[in-house]
Amino acid sequence: MAVDGSPRMMDVHDLEHDAFLEEVHSFEFWFQAVEGYLSGTVDGHRPETRDEPPVGLERERLVTTLCNYCVGETAALEGASGLIAIAPNRISKVFLATQVVDEGRHLEVLLRRLADLGVADPESEVERRASPSLQLFRRRLLELVAGRDWEAAIFAQNVILESLEYAVFHTHASNADPVTREVLEGIIKDERRHIGFGENELGRTLARSPHIRARLGQVRNQLDHLVLDMLETTAREIGVDRHEQERLGRTYRESVERLGFT
Amino acid sequence: MVDPLLEAADEGEPFAGERRRFLLEDTGFNEVPVKYRRFYRKWRGAGDALAPNEVICPVCRVVIRSTRELRPGDRVYCMPCMSRLVVVRGESGMLEARVSY
Repeated sequence: MAVDGSPRMMDVHDLEHDAFLEEVHSFEFWFQAVEGYLSGTVDGHRPETRDEPPVGLERERLVTTLCNYCVGETAALEGASGLIAIAPNRISKVFLATQVVDEGRHLEVLLRRLADLGVADPESEVERRASPSLQLFRRRLLELVAGRDWEAAIFAQNVILESLEYAVFHTHASNADPVTREVLEGIIKDERRHIGFGENELGRTLARSPHIRARLGQVRNQLDHLVLDMLETTAREIGVDRHEQERLGRTYRESVERLGFT
Repeated sequence: MVDPLLEAADEGEPFAGERRRFLLEDTGFNEVPVKYRRFYRKWRGAGDALAPNEVICPVCRVVIRSTRELRPGDRVYCMPCMSRLVVVRGESGMLEARVSY
């Protein structure tokens, strides 16, 4: 609604950049944000949502997909927690602490969804069904963290892995059963912060230190085929057509390309 | 913790020129703290349209809203994905937002 002559309303876009960064990386911001969409949910969905789980082959595909999501979330949980120690400043450490909590929640609600679907031992099932490409990606990510390579690890985790998850979860949520959809929609809301943190943190770093671009390009080349393999496998399992699969690929590449990696 | 909205409001920086101003109401967007919710909304897909005080975040696809009409060169923030953006005129003639690291 346009207004004339009314008292001025404070605009959040007038904040100084430092004040903005301090605010959005804070634990208090995170707490109030997640309270908005998780309050009243149980295991990531509203208790009153009617469960209409798929059956037969569709159920098998969903179980395999959720198992692979669990591997990705475990990688992010382990990666984010390891990154706190090497983060270059306080606000990044605090933000990563909130990401660790998010990733732990994601893993928990996905494992509970597997149990709801009748999987007797979800953690064993995750081990059994995990995609080799995703397992290899997880190992590579943790090697970067163990090597204390902040830029490469943030690139692998918060840009590459999170962008992949964000794109896939969006598509999957649009054609999933009601409970799975709500679980994924809650995760997507968390992922907005994670991908934004990665892209902006690296974008600022690349602007200050352009010489690291070549090294990150090598990391991308090492991981890209794993990501594209995961994307193709998951797209097949969640039943998207070739056109939608190509759109998924473009969505995944957008954040990488905004950082100048073409 | 100091409320950054209150802190910035005290600075008394004047609005530029003859821009239309907008009274923002809560859109039900629940991914940021309550006091910031009116500055964001979900893109409703085909059939949705941006108002003169709105742009889409290219990172997370949330619609960013301002209390004033937006123009090329303006800075806006996307709190859901923590991005700083600059408003530009796109090839289509529409206002777009570009990430400013």
